[in-house]
Amino acid sequence: MDLSLVLNTFTLLTLTTLSTPIIFPLLSDSLKNTPSTITNTVKASFLISLIPMTIHIHSGSESLITLWEWKFIMTFKIPISLKLDFYSLTFLPIALFVSWSILQFATWYMASDPHATKFFTYLLLFLIAMLTLIVANNLFVLFIGWEGVGVMSFLLISWWHGRAEANTAALQAILYNRVGDVGLILCLAWLAYTTNTWEIQQLNSPHQTPTLPLLGLILAATGKSAQFGLHPWLPAAMEGPTPVSALLHSSTMVVAGIFLLIRTHPLLSSNQTAMTTCLCLGALSTLFAATCALTQNDIKKIIAFSTSSQLGLMMVTIGLNLPQLAFLHISTHAFFKAMLFLCSGSIIHNLNGEQDIRKMGGLQKMLPTTTSCLTIGNLALMGTPFLAGFYSKDQIIECLNTSYLNSWALILTLLATSFTAVYTIRMTVLVQTGFTRIPPLTPMNENNPAITSPITRLALGSIMAGLLITSYITPTKTPPMTMPLSIKITALVITILGIIIALELSKLTQTLILTKQTPLYNFSTSLGYFNLLTHRLTTKTLLTGGQNIASHLVDLSWYKLLGPEGLANLQLTTTKTITTLHSGLIKAYLSSFALSLLIILMSAH
Amino acid sequence: FTASLLLGTTLTISSNHWIMAWAGLEINTLAILPMISKSHHPRAIEAATKYFLTQATASALLLFSSMINAWQTGQWDITQLTNPTSCLILTSAIAMKLGLVPFHFWFPEVLQGTPLTTGLLLSTLMKFPPITLLYMTSPSLNPTVLTSMAILSTALGGWMGLNQTQIRKILAFSSISHLGWMTIIISYNPKLTLLNFYLYALMTTATFLTLHSTKASKLSTLMTTWTKAPALNAALLLTLLSLAGLPPLTGFLPKWLIIQELTKQDMA
Repeated sequence: MDLSLVLNTFTLLTLTTLSTPIIFPLLSDSLKNTPSTITNTVKASFLISLIPMTIHIHSGSESLITLWEWKFIMTFKIPISLKLDFYSLTFLPIALFVSWSILQFATWYMASDPHATKFFTYLLLFLIAMLTLIVANNLFVLFIGWEGVGVMSFLLISWWHGRAEANTAALQAILYNRVGDVGLILCLAWLAYTTNTWEIQQLNSPHQTPTLPLLGLILAATGKSAQFGLHPWLPAAMEGPTPVSALLHSSTMVVAGIFLLIRTHPLLSSNQTAMTTCLCLGALSTLFAATCALTQNDIKKIIAFSTSSQLGLMMVTIGLNLPQLAFLHISTHAFFKAMLFLCSGSIIHNLNGEQDIRKMGGLQKMLPTTTSCLTIGNLALMGTPFLAGFYSKDQIIECLNTSYLNSWALILTLLATSFTAVYTIRMTVLVQTGFTRIPPLTPMNENNPAITSPITRLALGSIMAGLLITSYITPTKTPPMTMPLSIKITALVITILGIIIALELSKLTQTLILTKQTPLYNFSTSLGYFNLLTHRLTTKTLLTGGQNIASHLVDLSWYKLLGPEGLANLQLTTTKTITTLHSGLIKAYLSSFALSLLIILMSAH
Repeated sequence: FTASLLLGTTLTISSNHWIMAWAGLEINTLAILPMISKSHHPRAIEAATKYFLTQATASALLLFSSMINAWQTGQWDITQLTNPTSCLILTSAIAMKLGLVPFHFWFPEVLQGTPLTTGLLLSTLMKFPPITLLYMTSPSLNPTVLTSMAILSTALGGWMGLNQTQIRKILAFSSISHLGWMTIIISYNPKLTLLNFYLYALMTTATFLTLHSTKASKLSTLMTTWTKAPALNAALLLTLLSLAGLPPLTGFLPKWLIIQELTKQDMA
């Protein structure tokens, strides 16, 4: 049996199964979608996609499928091809598994929404775009997927478009992503110019690549994956419904930037500047996000900031020249982050729309399944040994510790790890334990299997995924095996330290002392002043500059001074001067005649 | 008076002796003087006086130049004007007669003071003999002087014409600038001068006669001519544009050819 044929067939079958709910309603009126059909389609897709993954794990076969070649310019070929290697074949089932769970959850969450089918169609479109991005071999196809996820993110964030903050948030998402896209296009242009190809398998530079296109790539990743500098859209994107947050902004879309960097890793690895940029940018992002998450009161925002922080950690891994480890973290992170979002969604719906953790408490007794899965997710996030997060996160910190690179990045990352522990425990304590602070008459139940099965499935994934993936994949770079004991347990120690601090701090909620507004607290609460500083300043400068250019430069100076009126004015001065010369006195005229005659005679001799 | 005008012009044109040319020019001057001052208006008298003075000076200079040439070379042939000094003096004399800068100051006021038909005669017919003389002596004239006078005429005619409200003055300045165009090409290709002159004469005749029939002498009067004779007004528009030298109209032709000739001579 030809394994590669089976591989190709089943991957293509996966992708086609996903697109059936889009195509069938167009063919016939009786084939309408419902939320459950879409969910089942994704489930079927997931099951089909397990086969290529198994084949890959079994025999290590990778393949490259070229579908069509777009002969736009004769000398520059753009083949639309799919690359089925370790990254895409592993991520495909993971993404589909997570999406299936989220869609199943969404059948309960969006049940009361009048346009539920449209919502599900949007989610499906997003999924298709994301998978295009993942399996793309050509950077052009990747770009199509890239833009696709951006657009779908916009549509989904502003799902409740009657709400002004939702619209602003969607705009923010699009704008920040666009700024990142500039970087990607820069890199594409450079590649087309120098290497004459956009194929990923041809991206090899034996010598050093110039820094500029690599910075473009990093810019693209900054925009898409919300690194520091282009990050405000991610917390703002929590305006969308919880399934949207779960799918887009935890597991799939935000890892697109990191995935791009993983794919173009051969280009990046030779340039030290780019590597250092990744490292420092990632460290900065992770610390910044963790700091901001410390004083947030909205449960979804806390989880959003934790996503941002983990993305920074992934960027740090790229900066350490370990793409495979970054990918591992992407995969494990997908599980527990999606689960965290789903749990928070269940809590929010059950509390009738309450998102503030200061108004939750004691939910352990009332929502046992949800809160236990929440706990599992949080422990996985913190990197508790032998849960999913441990395999990736701990290894990253070990590598960071034993490398000879930037120690500033190391310190920031360690600090961020402890902060992760702090805000996670804070969230857990405030939400689940203690006395309840919710309004009395809140009916809540989680008897619906549409809630419990996705969450428990993902919980299972959070526990097992790390173990499964690391057991079956041989790493391309040998991880550091020997290191002093203190280095080995650094991550663990820091996390425990964070837990202790958090437990101390959480006692404050029971003592009813008003928190003082210290500058540090203000920094954390107002998201580091970044939003306040940049959003007004940049836009106002650009718009007033544009107005100045349009009115002052064009209208006033070019049209009036230099253009038509200016010419007219020029003639006017000369005319006036000459008119005064023509006085009408014949004596003056005749004398001027004589003078001119003299001059002519003089000049000729 | 018209007859004597014609006599004078013919005499000048068909002569090849300087005395005959001079005589013809004098007859022209004398004949046109009563026509200018026909209306006995003070302005007309003033115009006549100015005209007489300038033209007399010009004729004297002409005679002077031909005498120097005769003294130096011993012959009175018009086409054999070889002495440089006499060439220069001849150039200035003709410039004065025509109205080229810097000898143009009389022209606007004279034209302003005359009735329109006489003004027409002044612009076209009176220019004919001097241009003929220029044509006949063109090979021996100094190009530098001619070119500088021509450029100044074109420029000055344009600038001065901008600030006028009296139509006759505007026409005077347009005449000056056209003369500039004519003069600039005379050392290189005299036929183009003649072409320019003929076309200019045609266009100005049309303009003058139109203005005469609508009795418009100021710009403000011109505004209301459309009520009197709309078709004529439209025709006037086209003619004026042609005078300006706009491409699809005839007036563009001489300008184009002149510029082409100048580029060939490495000057434009």
